[in-house]
Amino acid sequence: MADVTFSNVQKHFGAFRAVQDLNLDIREGEFVSLLGPSGCGKTTTLRMLAGLEFPTSGEIRIGDRVVNDVAPGKRDIAMVFQSYALYPHMTVGENIAYPLKKRGVEKAERARMLKDTADMLQLTPLLRRKPRELSGGQQQRVALGRALVRDPKVFLLDEPLSNLDAKLRGHMRAELIELHRRLGRTMVYVTHDQLEAMTMSDRIAVMEGGKLQQFAPPQEVYREPSNRFVAGFIGTPGMTIIDGALSGSPGAWRFDAPGISVEARHLGPDAAEGAASMGVRPEALTIGTGDTPATLRLVEQTGHENIVVVSIGDIRMTGRTTPDKVWSPGEEVMISIDPDMPHFFADGPNGKRLNAKPSPRGNEPSHSLSNLSEVSP
Amino acid sequence: MIRKIAFNLFAWALVLAVAFPLFWMLVTSVKPQFELFRRPPTILPETWTFEHYIGLLKETNFLNYFWNSIILSTTTTLIVVAIATIGAYSLVRFKYRGRETLAFLVLFTYLLPSVVLILPLYLMLVQLGLSNTITSLVIAYTTFALPYALWLLRSFMAGIPEDLESAALVDGATRLGAFRDVILPQLLPGIISTALFTFILSWNEYLFALVLVNSDEARPLTTGVMNMLVSSFNIEWSLLMAASVMMSVPLIIVFAFLQSYLTRGFGAGGVKG
Repeated sequence: MADVTFSNVQKHFGAFRAVQDLNLDIREGEFVSLLGPSGCGKTTTLRMLAGLEFPTSGEIRIGDRVVNDVAPGKRDIAMVFQSYALYPHMTVGENIAYPLKKRGVEKAERARMLKDTADMLQLTPLLRRKPRELSGGQQQRVALGRALVRDPKVFLLDEPLSNLDAKLRGHMRAELIELHRRLGRTMVYVTHDQLEAMTMSDRIAVMEGGKLQQFAPPQEVYREPSNRFVAGFIGTPGMTIIDGALSGSPGAWRFDAPGISVEARHLGPDAAEGAASMGVRPEALTIGTGDTPATLRLVEQTGHENIVVVSIGDIRMTGRTTPDKVWSPGEEVMISIDPDMPHFFADGPNGKRLNAKPSPRGNEPSHSLSNLSEVSP
Repeated sequence: MIRKIAFNLFAWALVLAVAFPLFWMLVTSVKPQFELFRRPPTILPETWTFEHYIGLLKETNFLNYFWNSIILSTTTTLIVVAIATIGAYSLVRFKYRGRETLAFLVLFTYLLPSVVLILPLYLMLVQLGLSNTITSLVIAYTTFALPYALWLLRSFMAGIPEDLESAALVDGATRLGAFRDVILPQLLPGIISTALFTFILSWNEYLFALVLVNSDEARPLTTGVMNMLVSSFNIEWSLLMAASVMMSVPLIIVFAFLQSYLTRGFGAGGVKG
């Protein structure tokens, strides 16, 4: 059963279309991330679900109930804000108990629920402090506690980790995953950080320009991005996208770009001759062997691997190698692209993916040396 | 080092220049009449006396004026703070056409010299049958304290993160509940600043009181004291100084209580980023 449903939801601010034709079914107990660059409409979508913004048209349901006109406090949701939004004049305990107080929970019951939540989040020693006396991580916990305390149907989280330092963020990410598993509640999580979305979600809704681009599990978003935007947005280091053109006919397509000419395999029925682009993930690129000459531009050593940027003419491509390979920038190297792995997209920034579904082979990292690409003269 | 000393000297000179008249007022009010015009003047009184204070309280209308001023200033302050708080909330939180223009127009009314407004206001109040009442002064003071109060509170209100209110709404508060539980406590320093400003303004106002009120029943302290002690032929210096001291006392008390609130609570760390 769908727990949260958006049907044809639109949100306009004057002439600006913040969210367009949004259709989204979120299942009960699911962890869904709304992912996209700033201004893509993800926060507006969350605020509409919270009742802090009203859709211009369309319908939003929580459970069986249409909530378009329901006040935020009556939707059985809880929200964690990016700024935490702790009430500065109340103590930690008063902050966490505030939603209970507003719902008329009895005093003794309130104290018990507060204690449970504080114990769970290890906030008990801090209950009498004011928010400004806490560290960023502790404030984050209090915000989480205020959401958890009354066990709502849906949790909304608006970039809750973006104000924490990298180490704490990793830690809180793990805690949130654990919390979701323990509570089994529906969570809707807004983020611009694809790593957060990939690691935490059951499904990711990738948004851009107010439109939903793809709604699928993380692995599918990674392996079968629905269009060029999603392909470029997901993955670190990012996919190299090369503009060029398709030629040939079904079963015998080729992709050509200045300095590169490869056989285009596994294209679906939408493929057509003309302008197109090819996306190559770092793991599809083999550096050091192959028959395409390239110039090494940059080596970033992360410790467990090297991120290597090579160029063919004006085209720059990113790949990874094991850390034992030692190269210096400017060096000439041979490279190859695994012909089973590239993605092909129709022309335009949101060009549709042209590969056949499902992919004949997953985009597992591969260092196969067979079927090497060819280079046009 | 020399710069520091020079700066300190300058600062103290300034303090002295401001404080001396106050000191002189206090000293004069406790000197007996015969000591007032002695040359050279005595810095501290040779004989201390409180006869002027007693005389003022027992034999004049002083207490009546004082009471009028208290009622007048308190009522004006309450009305101005209430309207300005709600107005500022509207100007900051609700989005509607002409919001900025409205805010600017409000400020524009504050830029008009009060002398220009005094006659139209007087005529309007006469037509309303309110001339010679404390109410007329409350209305008059509200008209010129409100625009400034609105702007003051608007900037305080703008400093309160909208997320706080959103959080309260999600937590189950109504809009009014969120306003009371979350906005008002955050706005307290702003409200106190505004209240102080309005109170002082109504307490010290002279011109409107002179024009609008002409009966002893409704006269506030400013015009009352002038009327009573300053005539074309004589100025009752001792009584005047005693009255001035007593006029200053309420303001000093109010300031002493509220000044710590003025700086407290700014930038409290409830919101990060």
